[in-house]
Amino acid sequence: MTATGRSPARVAVVTGASRGLGAAVAQFLARQGYALIVNARDPTRLSETVAEIERSGASVFAVPGDVTDARTQSALEHVAHQLGRVDLLFNNASEPGPSPLPRLSELRSEDFEHIFRVNVLAPLAITQRLLPLLRTAGGRVVNISSDAALGGYPGWGGYGASKAALDLLSLTLANELKGSGISVVSVDPGDMRTSMHQAAFPGEDISDRPLPEITLPFWAWLLNRDPGEVSGHRFRAQSDRWEISES
Amino acid sequence: MNGAGRLSEMPMGPGADRPPETRGVARDGVRLLVSADGEERAHRFSDLPSLLRAGDLLVVNESATVPASLPAHSALGNFRVNLSTAYGSDLWVGEPRWGFGQPGPLPLDAGTPLDVGDVPCTLVAGFPGIPRLVFLRARGDLRTEMRRVGVPIRYGYAAAEFPLEEYQTVFARVPGSAEMPSAARPFTTRIVHRLRERGIAFAPIVLHAGVSSLETRDFPPGALPVFPEPFEVSASTVDAILRTRSQGGRVVAVGTTVVRALESATDECGLRPARGFTRIYLSPQRPIRSIDGLITGFHEAQSTHLALLAAFVGEERLRQAYEVAARDGYLWHEFGDSHLLLPSRAR
Repeated sequence: MTATGRSPARVAVVTGASRGLGAAVAQFLARQGYALIVNARDPTRLSETVAEIERSGASVFAVPGDVTDARTQSALEHVAHQLGRVDLLFNNASEPGPSPLPRLSELRSEDFEHIFRVNVLAPLAITQRLLPLLRTAGGRVVNISSDAALGGYPGWGGYGASKAALDLLSLTLANELKGSGISVVSVDPGDMRTSMHQAAFPGEDISDRPLPEITLPFWAWLLNRDPGEVSGHRFRAQSDRWEISES
Repeated sequence: MNGAGRLSEMPMGPGADRPPETRGVARDGVRLLVSADGEERAHRFSDLPSLLRAGDLLVVNESATVPASLPAHSALGNFRVNLSTAYGSDLWVGEPRWGFGQPGPLPLDAGTPLDVGDVPCTLVAGFPGIPRLVFLRARGDLRTEMRRVGVPIRYGYAAAEFPLEEYQTVFARVPGSAEMPSAARPFTTRIVHRLRERGIAFAPIVLHAGVSSLETRDFPPGALPVFPEPFEVSASTVDAILRTRSQGGRVVAVGTTVVRALESATDECGLRPARGFTRIYLSPQRPIRSIDGLITGFHEAQSTHLALLAAFVGEERLRQAYEVAARDGYLWHEFGDSHLLLPSRAR
Protein backbone atom coordinates (compact mmCIF):
# COMPACT_ATOMS: atom_id res chain seq x y z
CA MET A 1 0.00 0.00 0.00
CA THR A 2 1.17 3.52 -0.62
CA ALA A 3 0.85 6.67 1.39
CA THR A 4 -1.00 8.83 -1.06
CA GLY A 5 -4.05 11.04 -1.04
CA ARG A 6 -5.27 13.56 1.47
CA SER A 7 -3.06 13.82 4.55
CA PRO A 8 -4.79 12.30 7.57
CA ALA A 9 -5.88 14.16 10.68
CA ARG A 10 -3.53 12.38 13.08
CA VAL A 11 -0.67 9.97 12.52
CA ALA A 12 0.80 7.48 14.99
CA VAL A 13 3.97 5.43 14.55
CA VAL A 14 3.97 2.22 16.61
CA THR A 15 6.99 -0.10 16.72
CA GLY A 16 6.61 -3.71 17.81
CA ALA A 17 3.00 -3.52 16.67
CA SER A 18 2.33 -7.09 15.54
CA ARG A 19 1.50 -8.50 18.98
CA GLY A 20 0.88 -7.67 22.60
CA LEU A 21 0.85 -4.08 23.80
CA GLY A 22 1.84 -2.61 20.41
CA ALA A 23 -1.03 -4.33 18.58
CA ALA A 24 -3.59 -3.38 21.25
CA VAL A 25 -2.53 0.27 21.24
CA ALA A 26 -2.39 0.45 17.42
CA GLN A 27 -5.95 -0.89 17.17
CA PHE A 28 -7.15 1.51 19.90
CA LEU A 29 -5.60 4.48 18.07
CA ALA A 30 -6.97 3.39 14.68
CA ARG A 31 -10.52 3.34 16.05
CA GLN A 32 -9.96 6.88 17.30
CA GLY A 33 -9.21 8.05 13.78
CA TYR A 34 -5.41 7.96 13.77
CA ALA A 35 -3.65 6.84 10.61
CA LEU A 36 -1.13 4.20 11.64
CA ILE A 37 2.42 3.41 10.62
CA VAL A 38 3.14 0.05 12.17
CA ASN A 39 6.40 -1.80 12.45
CA ALA A 40 7.40 -5.30 13.55
CA ARG A 41 10.14 -7.78 12.67
CA ASP A 42 7.89 -10.56 11.36
CA PRO A 43 6.24 -9.40 8.09
CA THR A 44 3.62 -12.17 8.14
CA ARG A 45 2.40 -11.39 11.63
CA LEU A 46 2.57 -7.67 10.90
CA SER A 47 0.33 -8.10 7.85
CA GLU A 48 -2.20 -9.91 10.06
CA THR A 49 -2.25 -6.92 12.44
CA VAL A 50 -2.60 -4.57 9.46
CA ALA A 51 -5.59 -6.56 8.15
CA GLU A 52 -7.16 -6.46 11.61
CA ILE A 53 -6.72 -2.68 11.86
CA GLU A 54 -7.96 -2.09 8.31
CA ARG A 55 -11.21 -3.79 9.26
CA SER A 56 -11.95 -0.74 11.43
CA GLY A 57 -11.63 1.45 8.33
CA ALA A 58 -8.38 3.14 9.34
CA SER A 59 -5.43 3.89 7.07
CA VAL A 60 -2.48 1.74 8.04
CA PHE A 61 0.99 1.42 6.56
CA ALA A 62 3.27 -1.49 7.37
CA VAL A 63 7.03 -1.09 7.74
CA PRO A 64 8.40 -4.54 8.51
CA GLY A 65 11.94 -4.89 9.83
CA ASP A 66 14.20 -4.76 12.83
CA VAL A 67 14.17 -1.35 14.53
CA THR A 68 17.96 -1.48 14.88
CA ASP A 69 18.31 -1.66 11.09
CA ALA A 70 18.95 1.74 9.49
CA ARG A 71 16.85 0.65 6.51
CA THR A 72 13.81 0.08 8.76
CA GLN A 73 14.36 3.45 10.45
CA SER A 74 14.68 5.14 7.09
CA ALA A 75 11.51 3.45 5.78
CA LEU A 76 9.57 4.66 8.84
CA GLU A 77 10.84 8.17 8.20
CA HIS A 78 9.95 7.93 4.52
CA VAL A 79 6.33 6.84 5.09
CA ALA A 80 5.90 9.44 7.83
CA HIS A 81 7.09 12.17 5.45
CA GLN A 82 4.58 11.05 2.88
CA LEU A 83 1.81 11.35 5.46
CA GLY A 84 3.18 14.76 6.40
CA ARG A 85 3.01 14.62 10.19
CA VAL A 86 3.63 12.50 13.29
CA ASP A 87 1.38 13.10 16.28
CA LEU A 88 2.56 10.12 18.26
CA LEU A 89 5.70 8.01 18.24
CA PHE A 90 5.12 4.91 20.35
CA ASN A 91 8.56 3.35 20.92
CA ASN A 92 7.37 -0.07 22.03
CA ALA A 93 9.60 -2.67 20.32
CA SER A 94 11.69 -4.21 23.08
CA GLU A 95 14.23 -6.97 23.53
CA PRO A 96 14.23 -8.82 26.86
CA GLY A 97 17.42 -10.75 26.05
CA PRO A 98 18.06 -14.49 25.89
CA SER A 99 15.31 -16.82 27.11
CA PRO A 100 15.42 -17.92 29.89
CA LEU A 101 16.82 -14.65 31.25
CA PRO A 102 20.43 -15.13 32.32
CA ARG A 103 21.84 -13.64 35.52
CA LEU A 104 24.30 -10.80 34.98
CA SER A 105 27.15 -13.17 35.88
CA GLU A 106 26.29 -15.11 32.72
CA LEU A 107 25.03 -12.33 30.41
CA ARG A 108 27.16 -12.37 27.25
CA SER A 109 28.29 -8.96 26.14
CA GLU A 110 26.95 -9.48 22.59
CA ASP A 111 23.50 -10.19 24.06
CA PHE A 112 23.76 -7.14 26.30
CA GLU A 113 24.79 -5.01 23.32
CA HIS A 114 21.82 -6.30 21.33
CA ILE A 115 19.42 -5.43 24.19
CA PHE A 116 20.81 -1.88 24.24
CA ARG A 117 20.63 -1.52 20.47
CA VAL A 118 16.92 -2.45 20.45
CA ASN A 119 15.79 -0.76 23.67
CA VAL A 120 17.94 2.40 23.76
CA LEU A 121 19.72 3.20 20.51
CA ALA A 122 16.81 2.37 18.17
CA PRO A 123 14.14 4.46 19.94
CA LEU A 124 16.51 7.42 20.06
CA ALA A 125 17.45 7.03 16.39
CA ILE A 126 13.79 6.83 15.33
CA THR A 127 12.93 9.82 17.52
CA GLN A 128 15.78 11.82 15.95
CA ARG A 129 14.57 11.00 12.45
CA LEU A 130 10.95 11.93 13.21
CA LEU A 131 11.67 15.11 15.21
CA PRO A 132 10.88 17.54 12.36
CA LEU A 133 7.48 15.90 11.79
CA LEU A 134 6.80 15.69 15.53
CA ARG A 135 7.63 19.37 15.82
CA THR A 136 5.13 20.32 13.09
CA ALA A 137 2.34 18.36 14.76
CA GLY A 138 3.16 19.24 18.38
CA GLY A 139 3.57 15.49 18.75
CA ARG A 140 4.23 13.10 21.59
CA VAL A 141 6.95 10.54 22.11
CA VAL A 142 6.04 7.61 24.37
CA ASN A 143 8.91 5.35 25.38
CA ILE A 144 7.85 2.01 26.84
CA SER A 145 9.79 1.33 30.01
CA SER A 146 9.45 -1.31 32.69
CA ASP A 147 9.47 -1.73 36.46
CA ALA A 148 12.67 -3.69 35.79
CA ALA A 149 14.30 -0.27 35.27
CA LEU A 150 14.03 0.26 39.02
CA GLY A 151 13.61 -3.22 40.45
CA GLY A 152 16.99 -4.94 40.38
CA TYR A 153 15.21 -8.22 39.68
CA PRO A 154 17.54 -11.21 39.22
CA GLY A 155 17.70 -12.12 35.52
CA TRP A 156 16.36 -8.74 34.41
CA GLY A 157 19.68 -6.86 34.78
CA GLY A 158 20.42 -6.37 31.10
CA TYR A 159 16.85 -5.46 30.17
CA GLY A 160 16.39 -3.34 33.31
CA ALA A 161 19.60 -1.40 32.66
CA SER A 162 18.45 -0.67 29.10
CA LYS A 163 15.04 0.56 30.33
CA ALA A 164 16.71 2.72 32.99
CA ALA A 165 18.81 4.23 30.20
CA LEU A 166 15.66 4.77 28.13
CA ASP A 167 14.00 6.52 31.10
CA LEU A 168 16.95 8.90 31.28
CA LEU A 169 16.80 9.54 27.52
CA SER A 170 13.10 10.37 27.90
CA LEU A 171 13.69 12.83 30.72
CA THR A 172 16.66 14.46 28.99
CA LEU A 173 14.84 14.75 25.67
CA ALA A 174 11.83 16.24 27.46
CA ASN A 175 14.09 18.88 29.02
CA GLU A 176 15.89 19.58 25.75
CA LEU A 177 12.62 19.87 23.86
CA LYS A 178 10.87 22.09 26.40
CA GLY A 179 9.06 24.85 24.56
CA SER A 180 9.22 22.99 21.23
CA GLY A 181 5.68 21.63 21.57
CA ILE A 182 6.99 18.04 21.61
CA SER A 183 6.33 16.02 24.76
CA VAL A 184 8.32 12.98 25.82
CA VAL A 185 7.15 10.53 28.45
CA SER A 186 8.27 7.20 29.74
CA VAL A 187 5.65 4.63 30.70
CA ASP A 188 5.90 1.40 32.67
CA PRO A 189 2.91 -0.57 31.34
CA GLY A 190 3.02 -3.08 34.22
CA ASP A 191 2.95 -6.86 34.08
CA MET A 192 0.95 -8.18 31.15
CA ARG A 193 0.20 -11.46 29.42
CA THR A 194 2.38 -10.98 26.33
CA SER A 195 4.72 -13.15 24.31
CA MET A 196 7.64 -11.09 25.61
CA HIS A 197 6.66 -11.82 29.17
CA GLN A 198 6.23 -15.49 28.31
CA ALA A 199 9.72 -15.57 26.77
CA ALA A 200 11.10 -14.22 30.03
CA PHE A 201 9.39 -17.03 31.93
CA PRO A 202 9.50 -19.99 29.52
CA GLY A 203 7.16 -22.81 30.51
CA GLU A 204 5.60 -20.81 33.36
CA ASP A 205 1.89 -20.13 33.62
CA ILE A 206 1.43 -16.37 33.17
CA SER A 207 -2.35 -16.54 32.69
CA ASP A 208 -2.86 -14.57 35.93
CA ARG A 209 -1.42 -11.49 34.18
CA PRO A 210 -3.92 -9.13 32.53
CA LEU A 211 -4.03 -8.74 28.76
CA PRO A 212 -2.43 -5.57 27.32
CA GLU A 213 -5.93 -4.08 26.92
CA ILE A 214 -5.82 -3.40 30.67
CA THR A 215 -3.71 -0.33 29.82
CA LEU A 216 -6.14 1.25 27.32
CA PRO A 217 -7.74 3.64 29.87
CA PHE A 218 -4.27 4.92 30.71
CA TRP A 219 -3.45 5.66 27.05
CA ALA A 220 -6.83 7.33 26.67
CA TRP A 221 -5.92 9.54 29.63
CA LEU A 222 -2.31 10.26 28.66
CA LEU A 223 -2.96 11.09 25.01
CA ASN A 224 -5.68 13.56 25.98
CA ARG A 225 -3.60 15.53 28.47
CA ASP A 226 -1.94 18.77 27.53
CA PRO A 227 1.50 17.67 26.22
CA GLY A 228 3.33 20.28 28.28
CA GLU A 229 1.72 18.98 31.49
CA VAL A 230 2.98 15.44 31.07
CA SER A 231 6.33 15.87 29.31
CA GLY A 232 9.29 14.61 31.32
CA HIS A 233 7.16 12.39 33.54
CA ARG A 234 7.37 8.66 34.07
CA PHE A 235 4.01 6.97 34.50
CA ARG A 236 2.80 3.54 35.57
CA ALA A 237 -0.13 2.56 33.36
CA GLN A 238 -1.62 0.11 35.88
CA SER A 239 -1.25 2.39 38.89
CA ASP A 240 -4.38 3.38 40.81
CA ARG A 241 -3.60 7.07 40.18
CA TRP A 242 -2.37 8.94 37.12
CA GLU A 243 -1.20 12.31 38.28
CA ILE A 244 0.04 15.50 36.80
CA SER A 245 2.43 17.02 39.31
CA GLU A 246 2.18 20.72 39.98
CA SER A 247 5.01 22.66 38.41
CA MET B 1 -15.52 -15.74 54.66
CA ASN B 2 -13.52 -12.63 53.82
CA GLY B 3 -14.42 -9.06 54.74
CA ALA B 4 -15.95 -8.23 51.39
CA GLY B 5 -18.17 -11.31 51.69
CA ARG B 6 -19.60 -10.12 55.00
CA LEU B 7 -20.05 -6.61 53.56
CA SER B 8 -22.31 -8.09 50.92
CA GLU B 9 -24.73 -9.08 53.71
CA MET B 10 -24.91 -5.64 55.33
CA PRO B 11 -28.47 -4.67 56.35
CA MET B 12 -30.37 -2.41 53.98
CA GLY B 13 -33.42 -0.24 54.58
CA PRO B 14 -36.03 1.14 52.19
CA GLY B 15 -34.86 3.34 49.30
CA ALA B 16 -35.95 6.91 48.66
CA ASP B 17 -37.50 7.02 45.20
CA ARG B 18 -37.83 10.83 45.00
CA PRO B 19 -36.33 14.00 46.47
CA PRO B 20 -37.35 14.75 50.09
CA GLU B 21 -38.91 18.07 49.00
CA THR B 22 -41.50 16.12 47.02
CA ARG B 23 -42.20 14.05 50.15
CA GLY B 24 -42.91 17.16 52.22
CA VAL B 25 -39.46 17.22 53.84
CA ALA B 26 -37.05 20.14 53.44
CA ARG B 27 -33.65 19.44 51.84
CA ASP B 28 -31.98 19.96 55.19
CA GLY B 29 -34.81 18.23 57.02
CA VAL B 30 -33.82 14.65 56.14
CA ARG B 31 -32.92 12.38 59.03
CA LEU B 32 -29.34 12.26 60.21
CA LEU B 33 -28.05 9.19 62.00
CA VAL B 34 -25.01 10.03 64.09
CA SER B 35 -22.58 7.21 64.82
CA ALA B 36 -20.24 8.50 67.54
CA ASP B 37 -18.92 7.30 70.89
CA GLY B 38 -19.91 3.74 70.07
CA GLU B 39 -23.61 4.49 69.76
CA GLU B 40 -26.23 5.68 67.27
CA ARG B 41 -28.24 8.84 67.87
CA ALA B 42 -31.17 10.10 65.81
CA HIS B 43 -31.08 13.70 64.53
CA ARG B 44 -32.26 15.90 61.67
CA PHE B 45 -29.68 17.13 59.17
CA SER B 46 -30.40 20.68 60.32
CA ASP B 47 -28.86 19.73 63.69
CA LEU B 48 -25.44 19.43 62.04
CA PRO B 49 -24.09 22.80 63.28
CA SER B 50 -24.62 21.69 66.89
CA LEU B 51 -22.91 18.33 66.24
CA LEU B 52 -19.65 19.88 65.05
CA ARG B 53 -17.24 22.16 66.91
CA ALA B 54 -15.58 25.47 66.16
CA GLY B 55 -12.31 24.69 64.41
CA ASP B 56 -13.67 21.67 62.54
CA LEU B 57 -13.30 21.66 58.75
CA LEU B 58 -15.83 20.32 56.26
CA VAL B 59 -14.27 19.21 52.97
CA VAL B 60 -16.78 19.34 50.12
CA ASN B 61 -16.86 18.22 46.48
CA GLU B 62 -17.48 21.12 44.09
CA SER B 63 -18.28 18.88 41.15
CA ALA B 64 -21.63 19.70 39.56
CA THR B 65 -23.89 17.04 38.07
CA VAL B 66 -24.33 17.08 34.28
CA PRO B 67 -27.34 15.71 32.36
CA ALA B 68 -25.35 12.65 31.33
CA SER B 69 -28.07 10.30 30.08
CA LEU B 70 -28.68 10.69 26.34
CA PRO B 71 -30.89 8.90 23.84
CA ALA B 72 -28.83 6.79 21.46
CA HIS B 73 -29.35 4.86 18.26
CA SER B 74 -27.52 2.24 16.23
CA ALA B 75 -28.37 -0.69 13.97
CA LEU B 76 -29.61 -2.33 17.20
CA GLY B 77 -32.36 0.28 17.52
CA ASN B 78 -32.97 2.86 20.23
CA PHE B 79 -31.29 2.74 23.60
CA ARG B 80 -29.57 5.13 26.03
CA VAL B 81 -25.97 6.03 26.65
CA ASN B 82 -25.04 7.26 30.12
CA LEU B 83 -21.83 9.26 29.72
CA SER B 84 -19.59 8.53 32.68
CA THR B 85 -16.25 10.26 32.21
CA ALA B 86 -14.68 12.59 29.64
CA TYR B 87 -11.09 11.59 28.83
CA GLY B 88 -10.77 14.28 26.18
CA SER B 89 -13.07 16.52 24.17
CA ASP B 90 -13.88 13.67 21.76
CA LEU B 91 -13.16 10.58 23.88
CA TRP B 92 -15.59 9.41 26.56
CA VAL B 93 -16.34 6.40 28.68
CA GLY B 94 -20.04 5.65 28.60
CA GLU B 95 -22.52 2.97 29.50
CA PRO B 96 -24.96 1.89 26.77
CA ARG B 97 -28.19 0.71 28.44
CA TRP B 98 -31.52 -0.49 27.12
CA GLY B 99 -33.25 2.05 29.33
CA PHE B 100 -33.14 3.87 32.66
CA GLY B 101 -34.10 0.75 34.56
CA GLN B 102 -32.73 -1.77 32.07
CA PRO B 103 -28.99 -2.26 32.18
CA GLY B 104 -26.68 -3.51 29.45
CA PRO B 105 -24.37 -4.75 28.27
CA LEU B 106 -25.63 -4.30 24.73
CA PRO B 107 -24.25 -6.49 21.93
CA LEU B 108 -22.12 -3.72 20.43
CA ASP B 109 -18.74 -4.62 18.94
CA ALA B 110 -15.69 -2.38 18.81
CA GLY B 111 -15.86 -0.28 15.66
CA THR B 112 -19.66 -0.03 15.74
CA PRO B 113 -21.08 3.35 14.70
CA LEU B 114 -23.80 4.82 16.90
CA ASP B 115 -25.45 8.18 17.42
CA VAL B 116 -25.49 9.68 20.91
CA GLY B 117 -28.13 12.34 20.66
CA ASP B 118 -27.39 13.50 17.11
CA VAL B 119 -23.62 13.22 17.51
CA PRO B 120 -22.07 10.43 15.42
CA CYS B 121 -19.84 8.25 17.57
CA THR B 122 -17.71 5.13 17.21
CA LEU B 123 -17.37 2.45 19.84
CA VAL B 124 -13.57 2.42 20.22
CA ALA B 125 -13.15 -0.43 22.69
CA GLY B 126 -14.72 -2.08 25.67
CA PHE B 127 -13.50 -0.91 29.05
CA PRO B 128 -11.11 -3.60 30.32
CA GLY B 129 -12.71 -5.76 32.99
CA ILE B 130 -16.01 -3.83 33.08
CA PRO B 131 -18.23 -5.17 30.30
CA ARG B 132 -20.91 -2.51 30.73
CA LEU B 133 -18.60 0.39 29.93
CA VAL B 134 -17.18 1.37 26.56
CA PHE B 135 -14.89 4.01 25.09
CA LEU B 136 -16.69 6.25 22.62
CA ARG B 137 -15.14 8.57 20.09
CA ALA B 138 -17.44 11.46 19.27
CA ARG B 139 -17.45 13.46 16.04
CA GLY B 140 -19.13 16.41 17.68
CA ASP B 141 -19.41 18.08 21.06
CA LEU B 142 -21.11 15.74 23.53
CA ARG B 143 -21.09 18.42 26.24
CA THR B 144 -23.30 20.62 24.06
CA GLU B 145 -25.43 17.62 23.13
CA MET B 146 -25.93 16.83 26.84
CA ARG B 147 -27.33 20.30 27.44
CA ARG B 148 -29.61 19.85 24.42
CA VAL B 149 -31.06 16.37 24.95
CA GLY B 150 -29.48 14.93 28.11
CA VAL B 151 -31.30 14.25 31.37
CA PRO B 152 -29.87 13.27 34.75
CA ILE B 153 -28.96 9.59 35.04
CA ARG B 154 -31.55 7.68 37.00
CA TYR B 155 -32.24 4.04 37.70
CA GLY B 156 -35.31 1.86 37.95
CA TYR B 157 -35.99 2.76 41.56
CA ALA B 158 -36.58 6.46 40.76
CA ALA B 159 -40.27 7.32 40.77
CA ALA B 160 -40.00 9.76 37.86
CA GLU B 161 -37.69 12.02 35.91
CA PHE B 162 -36.61 14.95 38.10
CA PRO B 163 -35.03 18.19 36.88
CA LEU B 164 -31.24 18.63 37.03
CA GLU B 165 -31.54 21.08 39.97
CA GLU B 166 -32.67 18.16 42.12
CA TYR B 167 -29.28 16.57 41.45
CA GLN B 168 -27.17 19.60 42.34
CA THR B 169 -25.62 20.32 45.70
CA VAL B 170 -25.20 23.81 47.12
CA PHE B 171 -21.43 23.43 46.53
CA ALA B 172 -21.71 22.55 42.81
CA ARG B 173 -19.37 24.77 40.79
CA VAL B 174 -17.44 22.63 38.26
CA PRO B 175 -19.62 20.59 35.86
CA GLY B 176 -18.50 16.99 35.35
CA SER B 177 -20.20 14.40 37.56
CA ALA B 178 -22.32 11.83 35.76
CA GLU B 179 -24.09 11.20 39.05
CA MET B 180 -24.65 13.58 41.95
CA PRO B 181 -22.07 13.53 44.74
CA SER B 182 -25.13 13.08 46.93
CA ALA B 183 -23.75 13.32 50.47
CA ALA B 184 -23.86 17.12 50.21
CA ARG B 185 -27.44 17.24 48.94
CA PRO B 186 -28.99 18.10 52.36
CA PHE B 187 -26.73 21.16 52.77
CA THR B 188 -28.58 24.43 52.20
CA THR B 189 -27.29 28.01 52.25
CA ARG B 190 -29.01 28.33 55.63
CA ILE B 191 -27.05 25.38 57.11
CA VAL B 192 -23.80 26.55 55.53
CA HIS B 193 -24.33 30.00 57.06
CA ARG B 194 -25.02 28.55 60.52
CA LEU B 195 -21.98 26.29 60.31
CA ARG B 196 -19.75 29.25 59.37
CA GLU B 197 -21.20 31.28 62.24
CA ARG B 198 -20.19 28.51 64.63
CA GLY B 199 -16.60 28.68 63.39
CA ILE B 200 -16.74 25.62 61.16
CA ALA B 201 -14.83 26.16 57.92
CA PHE B 202 -15.18 24.70 54.42
CA ALA B 203 -12.54 23.59 51.92
CA PRO B 204 -13.23 22.27 48.39
CA ILE B 205 -11.95 19.40 46.29
CA VAL B 206 -13.21 18.26 42.89
CA LEU B 207 -13.92 14.66 41.96
CA HIS B 208 -16.16 14.02 38.99
CA ALA B 209 -18.17 10.92 39.86
CA GLY B 210 -18.79 8.43 37.07
CA VAL B 211 -21.74 6.08 36.72
CA SER B 212 -22.53 3.96 39.76
CA SER B 213 -24.62 1.32 38.03
CA LEU B 214 -21.93 -1.29 37.93
CA GLU B 215 -21.80 -1.52 41.67
CA THR B 216 -24.65 -3.93 41.56
CA ARG B 217 -24.58 -7.66 41.51
CA ASP B 218 -22.32 -8.04 38.45
CA PHE B 219 -19.22 -8.84 40.38
CA PRO B 220 -18.25 -11.39 42.99
CA PRO B 221 -17.64 -10.00 46.49
CA GLY B 222 -14.10 -8.75 46.78
CA ALA B 223 -13.76 -8.18 43.04
CA LEU B 224 -15.52 -4.82 42.81
CA PRO B 225 -14.00 -2.85 39.98
CA VAL B 226 -13.21 0.82 40.37
CA PHE B 227 -12.69 2.85 37.24
CA PRO B 228 -10.66 6.06 37.00
CA GLU B 229 -12.30 9.39 37.80
CA PRO B 230 -10.86 12.92 37.47
CA PHE B 231 -9.92 14.59 40.76
CA GLU B 232 -8.13 17.64 42.06
CA VAL B 233 -6.97 18.62 45.55
CA SER B 234 -5.65 22.18 45.63
CA ALA B 235 -2.77 23.59 47.66
CA SER B 236 -5.12 25.84 49.61
CA THR B 237 -7.27 22.86 50.64
CA VAL B 238 -4.16 20.93 51.71
CA ASP B 239 -3.14 23.96 53.81
CA ALA B 240 -6.60 24.21 55.39
CA ILE B 241 -6.56 20.51 56.32
CA LEU B 242 -3.07 20.60 57.80
CA ARG B 243 -3.88 23.78 59.75
CA THR B 244 -7.12 22.28 61.10
CA ARG B 245 -5.37 19.17 62.32
CA SER B 246 -2.44 21.06 63.85
CA GLN B 247 -4.94 23.15 65.84
CA GLY B 248 -6.84 20.11 67.10
CA GLY B 249 -9.84 20.45 64.79
CA ARG B 250 -11.49 17.57 62.98
CA VAL B 251 -11.47 17.09 59.23
CA VAL B 252 -14.92 15.89 58.16
CA ALA B 253 -15.37 14.69 54.57
CA VAL B 254 -18.73 15.35 52.95
CA GLY B 255 -19.11 12.24 50.82
CA THR B 256 -17.08 9.24 49.78
CA THR B 257 -15.84 11.17 46.73
CA VAL B 258 -14.04 13.54 49.09
CA VAL B 259 -12.42 10.64 50.94
CA ARG B 260 -11.26 9.14 47.64
CA ALA B 261 -9.81 12.47 46.49
CA LEU B 262 -7.98 13.07 49.77
CA GLU B 263 -6.63 9.53 49.98
CA SER B 264 -5.53 9.83 46.35
CA ALA B 265 -3.61 12.98 47.28
CA THR B 266 -1.88 11.21 50.17
CA ASP B 267 1.47 9.51 49.67
CA GLU B 268 4.22 8.26 52.02
CA CYS B 269 5.01 11.87 52.91
CA GLY B 270 1.39 12.72 53.74
CA LEU B 271 -1.20 14.95 52.07
CA ARG B 272 -0.05 17.13 49.15
CA PRO B 273 -1.79 18.91 46.26
CA ALA B 274 -2.69 16.50 43.46
CA ARG B 275 -4.52 16.43 40.15
CA GLY B 276 -5.24 13.61 37.73
CA PHE B 277 -7.39 10.50 37.52
CA THR B 278 -7.81 8.06 40.41
CA ARG B 279 -9.26 4.59 40.75
CA ILE B 280 -8.11 4.11 44.31
CA TYR B 281 -10.10 1.35 46.05
CA LEU B 282 -10.57 1.99 49.76
CA SER B 283 -11.39 -1.11 51.75
CA PRO B 284 -10.55 -2.54 55.17
CA GLN B 285 -7.26 -3.77 53.68
CA ARG B 286 -6.20 -0.15 53.22
CA PRO B 287 -6.74 2.12 56.22
CA ILE B 288 -8.02 5.68 55.77
CA ARG B 289 -5.84 8.33 57.41
CA SER B 290 -6.89 11.61 55.84
CA ILE B 291 -10.15 12.30 57.72
CA ASP B 292 -11.63 12.29 61.23
CA GLY B 293 -15.30 12.22 60.26
CA LEU B 294 -17.55 11.51 57.32
CA ILE B 295 -21.01 12.62 56.23
CA THR B 296 -22.53 10.23 53.73
CA GLY B 297 -25.73 8.51 52.69
CA PHE B 298 -26.77 4.89 53.21
CA HIS B 299 -25.15 2.57 50.73
CA GLU B 300 -26.20 -0.72 49.18
CA ALA B 301 -24.64 -3.95 50.26
CA GLN B 302 -21.94 -4.99 47.80
CA SER B 303 -20.76 -1.50 46.91
CA THR B 304 -17.38 0.17 46.90
CA HIS B 305 -18.85 2.90 49.14
CA LEU B 306 -19.58 0.33 51.81
CA ALA B 307 -16.04 -1.05 51.62
CA LEU B 308 -14.79 2.53 52.11
CA LEU B 309 -17.01 3.02 55.18
CA ALA B 310 -15.79 -0.26 56.64
CA ALA B 311 -12.22 0.91 56.04
CA PHE B 312 -12.98 4.06 58.03
CA VAL B 313 -14.92 2.81 61.06
CA GLY B 314 -14.42 -0.96 60.93
CA GLU B 315 -16.86 -3.52 59.71
CA GLU B 316 -18.44 -4.38 63.06
CA ARG B 317 -19.02 -0.72 63.91
CA LEU B 318 -20.57 -0.18 60.49
CA ARG B 319 -22.84 -3.21 60.90
CA GLN B 320 -24.11 -1.86 64.22
CA ALA B 321 -24.99 1.48 62.56
CA TYR B 322 -26.64 -0.18 59.56
CA GLU B 323 -28.72 -2.46 61.78
CA VAL B 324 -30.08 0.61 63.57
CA ALA B 325 -30.62 2.49 60.28
CA ALA B 326 -32.46 -0.41 58.67
CA ARG B 327 -34.53 -1.10 61.81
CA ASP B 328 -35.52 2.56 62.20
CA GLY B 329 -36.45 3.05 58.57
CA TYR B 330 -33.72 5.42 57.42
CA LEU B 331 -33.93 5.88 53.65
CA TRP B 332 -31.25 4.61 51.25
CA HIS B 333 -30.16 6.05 47.83
CA GLU B 334 -29.20 9.55 46.69
CA PHE B 335 -32.43 11.22 47.81
CA GLY B 336 -32.41 9.41 51.15
CA ASP B 337 -31.27 10.15 54.69
CA SER B 338 -27.87 11.10 55.97
CA HIS B 339 -25.23 9.48 58.18
CA LEU B 340 -22.51 11.22 60.20
CA LEU B 341 -19.66 8.97 61.27
CA LEU B 342 -17.37 10.37 63.96
CA PRO B 343 -15.31 7.45 65.20
CA SER B 344 -13.33 8.14 68.34
CA ARG B 345 -9.69 7.58 67.64
CA ALA B 346 -6.48 8.18 69.48
CA ARG B 347 -4.58 10.94 67.71
